[in-house]
Amino acid sequence: MATLAQQIVNGLVLGALIGLIALGYTMVYGIVQLINFAHGEVFMVGAFGAHFISLYVLPEGVPWYAALPVMFLAAVAVSVVVAMAMERLAYRPLRGAHTLAPLITALGVSILLQEVVRVFYPGATAPLPFPRAFPDGSLAVGPVTVLWTGVLALTVAPLLGAAVHLYVERSRLGRAMRATAQDADAARLMGIDTDRVTLATFVIGGVLAGVGAVLYGIHYTQIDTAIGFQNGIFAFTAAVLGGIGSIRGAMLGALCLGLVKSLAGQYAWGGAQYDYVWVFALLILVLMFRPQGFLGRPERVRA
Amino acid sequence: MTLDDAKVLVDAPGGRHANPARHRPDLLAWAGAALVLVGALLPWAAFVLPGGAYPDRATLQFFDAPHLVSGFRLHLVLLGLAGLAGRARRPAGIGVVVIAVVHLAFLIGLGAPSAGGPVALVGGVLLVWRRPAVPALSLPLPGRVLAWPALLAAFAGLLWLVSATLTAGGQSRATNPHGGAEFLAFCGFAFALVGVLSAYGVLTWLAALTQRHRIFAFTVMLACALLLPVTGAGTGYWMTVASTIGVYAATAIGLNIVVGLAGLLDLGYVAFLGIGAFTAANLAHSVPFPVAALAGAAVAGFFGVVVGAPTLRVRGDYLAIVTLAFGEIFFRAAQNDIGGLTGGVNAIPGIPPITLFGQAFNQPVGALPGGFLYYGLAVLLVAAAMVVLVNLKHSRTGRAWEAIREDEDVARAMGVRTGRAKILAFLVGATMAGLAGAVFAHKLGTVGYESFDFSESVTLLAAVILGGMGTVPGAVVGASLLFVLPEKLREFSDYRLMLFGLALILIMRFRPRGLVSSS
Repeated sequence: MATLAQQIVNGLVLGALIGLIALGYTMVYGIVQLINFAHGEVFMVGAFGAHFISLYVLPEGVPWYAALPVMFLAAVAVSVVVAMAMERLAYRPLRGAHTLAPLITALGVSILLQEVVRVFYPGATAPLPFPRAFPDGSLAVGPVTVLWTGVLALTVAPLLGAAVHLYVERSRLGRAMRATAQDADAARLMGIDTDRVTLATFVIGGVLAGVGAVLYGIHYTQIDTAIGFQNGIFAFTAAVLGGIGSIRGAMLGALCLGLVKSLAGQYAWGGAQYDYVWVFALLILVLMFRPQGFLGRPERVRA
Repeated sequence: MTLDDAKVLVDAPGGRHANPARHRPDLLAWAGAALVLVGALLPWAAFVLPGGAYPDRATLQFFDAPHLVSGFRLHLVLLGLAGLAGRARRPAGIGVVVIAVVHLAFLIGLGAPSAGGPVALVGGVLLVWRRPAVPALSLPLPGRVLAWPALLAAFAGLLWLVSATLTAGGQSRATNPHGGAEFLAFCGFAFALVGVLSAYGVLTWLAALTQRHRIFAFTVMLACALLLPVTGAGTGYWMTVASTIGVYAATAIGLNIVVGLAGLLDLGYVAFLGIGAFTAANLAHSVPFPVAALAGAAVAGFFGVVVGAPTLRVRGDYLAIVTLAFGEIFFRAAQNDIGGLTGGVNAIPGIPPITLFGQAFNQPVGALPGGFLYYGLAVLLVAAAMVVLVNLKHSRTGRAWEAIREDEDVARAMGVRTGRAKILAFLVGATMAGLAGAVFAHKLGTVGYESFDFSESVTLLAAVILGGMGTVPGAVVGASLLFVLPEKLREFSDYRLMLFGLALILIMRFRPRGLVSSS
């Protein structure tokens, strides 16, 4: 029973982190119907940006409450710049190209970013320890222990998710986003600068990925160049699970996915070595039988 | 229509093209050609390097023996001469620039650049810059009497070019420290050669000839491919490399059916190669190779249908993700030695080589290099895959695939049974990959899960896209490029995947139909 509760908590923490990435996927897909395969790498470069600041820029002995905000800022800055460059240089020229081109480009961007970091970042050919920029120790609730970093993730992620939801529902730019998602041509006729809206969407995705990257780093204590691809796939699965294009759905899907991964690793056939397989099997089943996910609308056929 | 298009339209009838200046000799271009010729004869390295003279006695030589120029200097002389002719100017200039830049970069790295490089570079830039704007020639198609010898000559030339490219710079950095530079410079020359031929319309002409005399051309091509071992590239090392390329090329042709013809993006395709390889590896000790190969193909084909089944419900980007998920499931399962079938991290070692009439395929036959038999098998495999691709492409099924690729809803409305056609595409592609996998297993002798990770799927996809989706020679050209380059440029092996990523982005941006395609 204690194990079950512990695994549920572990799954929820993972789900909260994945959810931050999944929001980026789901928003970009909602606006330009592009599976931004490289979004996981935006998360990855954010983690390396925070690692860089903390290791090479900040002086020794800075207390964690001073270092952590700087790391968040660095990660967000790096992620946003990379996301914007990606949109302007790789995706925008392809708007209106044949259907497979943007996906293959996204694949190219993903490989390029991974390899650039792996080859040029000092020591990135092996996993790097992430700076411990948060108090060690854990919160004990009955038989369950949650690391303080896990508590932080479980607090920050839902708050950010709610903030994005409110922003998209209430703000002027948010309204422009929803209009563009519904019908980009009509939105353009109404005077909305859809290129700007798209860029803004990538920026929001970048901010969330950057925050998620630092939370991920301090919780799992090490990063490598593969975390982007791996968690990107998880996040995409979560976004699909919740209904791609839906912000609440992405969060919900991510929590579900975290639970499936940690519970399947504990209880399902094959054990922890096969937990990935269950996640991918879940992805296939969802795509086949309920491609609109929990909260999405059924996809209309696009011309 | 964009502004640029409009400008071209306005320009086209008059303007630059009808400029009477075209008929006057272009002195700057001639000066460029002359500079290239002079550059070829100037010294390139400032002193004799510790590891021996720079390639082709490029050190301190100055007109002492102009009739003895060889290697890249000979290429420069040839390109300089070609640069005198108007149409050839631009490709020749590009070739000169590549050769000069490569050698200059290497010599600057060694700290010994001399006058030859800069002079040739300036000449090359002049040639590129002063290109005349003339449309490509279109040559008339001759009858059979002329066509057959022309095709023979063309494929013999191709054989020479392939062999020369493979052997350029030698096979080992240990014996030739300048091998990387020599190879890259030769690539520049080969590119220029092809470009010059293309500028004179020879390539289009040959393509049309090949199309008309399809069977003859195919036979000659096959014969030329089988003759590679008797050229300079006929060493055991190159036979091994070439047969590996053959296996991947056959796999890429299978992927070309799925992605290129039917337009179903498969991101986990290498799993079928793996399934074929593991099946054959498990059967290797109990049944002869043909049976193991057929079993590998059959099992892979079965899984092809399993993976293809979701295509009935999922399309476009979502389908790509489903195939990616299947690929990852295969990879994880193989990594964990599922059912004791894959050996997990220990791989499956000790797979015996293919044996026919008591002759093991990894042993040399007579004077031919070892690995020749595997090379021959790989060539036959690729040839068979090409025949299947060509015949399918021009069949009812192939037209159905292309209709689905262009617009699935319209295809269905026109009476194409889309579900059956899509599953068939997966079945054929996977079967081909499974067959290739069986050869792969026997050739390597060891099969481990690392050979089938996501980056291999991407490499295969890159081969198909680079060559041109849906074209017949495309997958072979792409696979050859992607597997020869890392072999020749080991000093850049760290950047291999990075360059792939960049290439994918750039090709989608500038040539989304691939390199081979004419459109």
